[in-house]
Order: sequence, then structure tokens, then C-alpha cells
Amino acid sequence: MKITHLALALGLAFLSAEARAEKLVIKGSDTLGAKLVPQLAEQFKAQHPGTTFDIAAEGSTTGIAAIIDGTAQIGMASRRAKPAEIGAASAKGVHMKPTIVAYDGIAVIVNSANPIKSLTKKQVEQIFTGEVTDWSAVGGSGGKISLYTRNTSSGTYSDFKELAMKKRDYAGGSQKMAGNEQIAAEVGKNANGIGYVGLAYTKAGGIKVMSIDGVLPSVQTVHAKTYPYARPTFYYTNGDATGLAKQFLDFTISGAGQKIVAQVGFVPIP
Amino acid sequence: MLRKYFVLIAMAASLVIGSITARAQDAGALLDLLVKKRLITDQEAEEVRGELVKDAAATSSGKLKLSAPITELELYGDTRVRYETREGETASNIPGTPGPNDTQKRSRERYRLRLGLRGTLADDWFFGVRLETSTNPRSTNVTFGDDAGPFGKASDTIGVGQAYIGYRGLRDFTFEVGKIPNPLVTTLMVWDADINPEGLSEQWKHSYNFNFGGGSTPAAESYGKDGKTVAAVEAEPFKVKLDLFANVAQFLYDDANPENPLGPRSVAGNKLVPNSDNWLLAWQLGARLTLPNSIYFQAAPVVYNYTGTGDTFNTFYVGGSSAVTNTASLALNQTGINSLLILEVPMEFGFKIGELPFRIFGDFAVNFDGDERAIAAGHPEAQDQRYAYQVGAGIGQLKAKGDWQLQAFWQHTEQFSLDPNLVDSDFFDSRVNIQGVVVQAGYAISDAVTFNLSYGWGRRADRSFGLGTGGAGDIGVNPIDKYQVFQADLNLKF
Repeated sequence: MKITHLALALGLAFLSAEARAEKLVIKGSDTLGAKLVPQLAEQFKAQHPGTTFDIAAEGSTTGIAAIIDGTAQIGMASRRAKPAEIGAASAKGVHMKPTIVAYDGIAVIVNSANPIKSLTKKQVEQIFTGEVTDWSAVGGSGGKISLYTRNTSSGTYSDFKELAMKKRDYAGGSQKMAGNEQIAAEVGKNANGIGYVGLAYTKAGGIKVMSIDGVLPSVQTVHAKTYPYARPTFYYTNGDATGLAKQFLDFTISGAGQKIVAQVGFVPIP
Repeated sequence: MLRKYFVLIAMAASLVIGSITARAQDAGALLDLLVKKRLITDQEAEEVRGELVKDAAATSSGKLKLSAPITELELYGDTRVRYETREGETASNIPGTPGPNDTQKRSRERYRLRLGLRGTLADDWFFGVRLETSTNPRSTNVTFGDDAGPFGKASDTIGVGQAYIGYRGLRDFTFEVGKIPNPLVTTLMVWDADINPEGLSEQWKHSYNFNFGGGSTPAAESYGKDGKTVAAVEAEPFKVKLDLFANVAQFLYDDANPENPLGPRSVAGNKLVPNSDNWLLAWQLGARLTLPNSIYFQAAPVVYNYTGTGDTFNTFYVGGSSAVTNTASLALNQTGINSLLILEVPMEFGFKIGELPFRIFGDFAVNFDGDERAIAAGHPEAQDQRYAYQVGAGIGQLKAKGDWQLQAFWQHTEQFSLDPNLVDSDFFDSRVNIQGVVVQAGYAISDAVTFNLSYGWGRRADRSFGLGTGGAGDIGVNPIDKYQVFQADLNLKF
């Protein structure tokens, strides 16, 4: 009889612990999800014991799709939802609500051994569309340009195409990487490499950031919108966020959250 | 609160402007401006932008998706319903059957449909595709009740009328390749308007503007009655515009296949079977001089030359005969393109009286190799049969509802003057060695719908020959002594 009571007590205790441990599922952008959101989550967990996070950073497209499918409470996106995605969401009764959580500048990076210090917007477009294939054509010392881009599910991939390439297609020989860190690593190893990463990933070794039309990406130039490849980043929710998602969203845009945003290398909301 | 007002203003403005899709784009620019002016926040702008995109995505146009390189896209086309009757009368003295002075008549109710899509792409590229009823290069008509039925569909085929790629990246130049709209300035005497040649074209056009006289006359001192200077008198300058253009074309007229056969080249009739593609080359230079009051003059001489042999049109042209039976005459070669080196000079002079436009137009052509063509056809006595001309006049135009137009022209073509495979198929039945008159009248029932009546009458230009007809002609008689056609058309353009 005592054993029965003990088992019952243990079971109730387990259920009670499960009920207290709330889980927040966040999916989407690698730009946000590789560094920033995990650090925000750690800080949030310290203030909300028992909260658990399931963070999957596989590209903005997956985050927006997760909101449409209802498989995540927050969709991270480094780009705006496309009309087709908003249309698909509406058809399912989902209202895609964007909340700006940080700003970013897409930095164009080259190998630190590359003598070039700056590029024009036109040159960037020519390089990434394949019109220019040798560094000598843009003032370099020669050598076949190796292009590194994000994969097609990435918001940065789409944003860069729109901001820097007049929506033209990437050059056929470009190598598609899963994340910002991989691009930075490859460019750091390849003297003829060029790629782009979010501002938070420009501290990697072996790379340097190009100024574009004489403007370097920074907090000031992104806020002033003088850097040509600046962009907001978003949390997408189904309508106004509620419950734990709202708490985490509020934390992200709070002073404490924005401090982490700045520490990680993003540009805080002004 | 003020910010919210601006958000609402942005939305209201966007709703007023253009289509839903355009609204979202216009609002985007407006929202960016409001953010830049710090009248609203980025977050507010994003929320409004999301709402507009959501609205746009719910509309029909919002569901359409265009590939990113397309900068402009136009869907266009036309459909036409036609009643037509045409007849040809045999000569008064011909051997065999049909007998002399017999008539073949065909009356048909027909329709046509042309549906096109053309667009511009990034970096000065463009393209065009047009689907058309009929597979005939000189006709887009389908005859009602013409196939197994009733109401069969066998003849209602859709062909690709145009499919081309173009580039306008160099100032004043246009390049096209594919199945292209005819780039040449020409007339029905030489080219049927339904033909879309296959190959390449390079076009150049540059406009020069000249002002003669005009400007302000110096103001006279103390000229006015109140002792003040009178304002200078502005004299309108005499404005002249000169457009110079050049069109060069390389049309693949007839593909030889195979160019290199297995084993030795085939021999037919003691001659090697031709093994090179046949190209029609054209060089045109033109000028259009536009004077005040809508007066203009245009001339655009063009030279045509044929190279290579092809494997379909390489038999010597004869063009029918009045000395044999009708069946035998029709069997004589009508389509050979040997000995054709043609100069064509289309010209047009136009002016307006009040708001009514007038135009006088003409075309002249000579085949410099007409003598060789005549000899090859077995008519060494007819080496001078190398000229063709057209002269006509028109009043009015069909641009908007209520407009009307009248036009008439006389045309004369000699047996060895032109390529019979290209001449208009309607008014002179795809034939040469025929002369006659065409009268046309049109009225615009609405901006998109016109009603046209056309009548053509012709007779053999030289009764010593048959009438060369590229293809069969619609009247199965050769020679035709007299010919006439009447068409009533209801056209709708979209």
C-alpha cells in the first residue's frame, strides 16, 4: 500500500514539473538563430526558470513556413514575408504579423589578403551575377573570383539579391553555404573568395569587410540607411503574440534584449 | 497619434493609386519616405506594408507570379471574323478543261485568333511570343465548316507565329533573333503582312531635330503707349525632324537537310542535290522627314538577295503557261527563287487637312536578274518583265471610336519581278503577272472593334504567260484572266 502511494506521489510530482516547464518553439533565419536568439534565450531562461527553447535556424523561409503551418510560435526572418507566403497564410487563416527585433547590414567580405578595400554597388552586382569573373576587372591583382552565397531558403540570399543585384540571378558557379559562419570560414580560407554575411559575423578570422560606394556597414550607417545593404530583421507571429511568445518578444525588444542585440553584433532598434 | 494619421494617409493614398499590386509597391515608397521623415516608425511601416501585401495577395493579380528578370509584360492580341468571296476566270482561249471563260468561285466564312505576350527584361533584353491560328505562313485564317464535323477542330490548329529574343542595349540599335515580326518597311506588293520571317535582324534608327528661325525678337525701347517696353514677340521656330534608319536582315528561307549526307551526295536529274541552306538577305536604308503641320515624307529603299540553295525552292521558276492545260500549267514550277536580286523602294507622303490625315503611298520594285529568270523560265523574249509598282492614296485613320478610313491603290506586278512566295495572298491571290485595283473602307465601332470592307479586282498583266503563284493560290486556275475578291471583316483588338 505504501508503495502504491509513493508511486502516485512521484507521478503527480512529475506531471506538475511538466506543467510548469513551458516550451517555446522558434524556427527560421540562420542570421538570427545562430547567435542572437540563443543568447536571448539563455538570458530569458535565467529570468524565467523552467522555460525551454527549441530553436531551429535553417533559413527565413522555414521560419515563415512554420508560422503558416503552426509548427512554431515565433518565425525568425531576416527578410520580409513574400506576397505568396502572406497569401498562403491568409488562405489558412493565419495573420502574419512582423515585429522588427533588430537591424542588420549585409556585409560584403573578402579574404584579408585581398588588396581591394572597397567596391561600388555596380561592381558588387557584376561580381555576384557573374558579369565580372576576375579580380583584375575590379582593380584587384588578378585571379578567378570564387563566390560564396547563402542557400535558397535563406532570407539573406533573397535580401542580397534584391538589395545588391536588382533581383538578377546569382552566377552559375556560386557556392551555396548553409550559414553565415560557413561563408566567413570559406572566404577566410580562399584568397580569391568573396561572400556576404550579417554584421554579427564580420569578426571571423581571415576576412575583411568591403566599403560599398565608400560606406562601411556600422550601427550609424545602418540606422541612417546610408549603407546600401541595410535591412530590418523580424519575428513573425500569427497575429499578436500571446503567452510565452509575447514574453520572449517583449524581452527581445526591451532594453535588456537590445543590449544583447548590440553585444552580438546586430544593430539595435533606435 | 499624428503618426497614425500618416499611416492612414499612406494607406488611403495607396488605395487610390492604380491596381492592388501597384498599390503595395507605391505604398512601399511612400512608407519609406514617411519613415525617413520620422513621421512613423519602421515597425508601423512594416505593419502597414504587411496589410497591403496581404490585400494584394488576395486579388487575382496578386496571385500571378512573374519571374524576377521581367520588368514589363504585355498580353495582347486580336480576333477577326471574316466573310470572303473570291473568284477567278479562265482565259478566253485555253486548251483542255476547264474551258475558256469559266469561273471558279470560293465563298468562305473564316476567323482568326492571334494571342501574344511580349515583355522587357533586365539589362535591355526583350522577348515576344505570339500564337496564331493556321499553319500557313501567309494566312492566319481558319475556315468555318472546312473539316470533318460538323464543327470539327482539325483545321483549328494553333501555330507559333512569333518567338523571338531581342536586345536594345546599344544606343539606337535593336537586335532580334528568332521568328520575328518583319523588321522591314515594305508593302503588300512584296510582303504578305502575315509573314513572320525566321532569322536575325539588326535595326538602327536615329532622330535629328532642327529648328529654323523663331526665338524672341528684341524688345523695342519706349514702344508702348504708356512709355514702357513692350514684351518681346515670340516667333515659333520652323521645326524639322529627320529620322534616319537602317534595317539589315538575314532570314533563313530554306534549310537544306542534311548538309552532308552519308556517302556521296545524291544526284537527281543529272544534278547534285543541293546541300546548303538558303538565306534571304535584306539591306534597307530609310529616311523620314517630318515638317510642321504633320507633313511627312518617307522613303526606304531595300535590296534583297538570296544565297545558298536550300532543298525546296531550288527548281527554276516557270510560273504557269497559257499554252498548256490548266492542270499542266499548275504543275509547272511556281515557287523557284532563282535569279532574284530585287530593289524595292516603298515611299509615303502624308499630311493633314484640319484633323483629317491624308496619305499618298507607293512602291516600286525591279528584279535586276529578271532577264536570267525569264530565260530560265523558257521566255527569253520576256527579259523586260522585271518591274512591279503600286500607287495609292488614303484618307482617315482607325485609332479611336468613330474614326473612319478610306484607301485605294493600283498595283502592277510582272512575271519575273518578285518572289511569288512572299507577295500578299489576299488581293491578288498570291500571284505575280497581275494588275488591278484594291479599295478598302473601315470604321471604328469602338476603340477596340473595327469593321472593314475590302474589294480587289485584277487581270493578267501580260497575256503571254501564266500567273506565277507561290504556293497554290486560293483559286486553282492558271492562268487566271480576271480575278476579284471581296472581304467583310469584324476585327477586335485587345
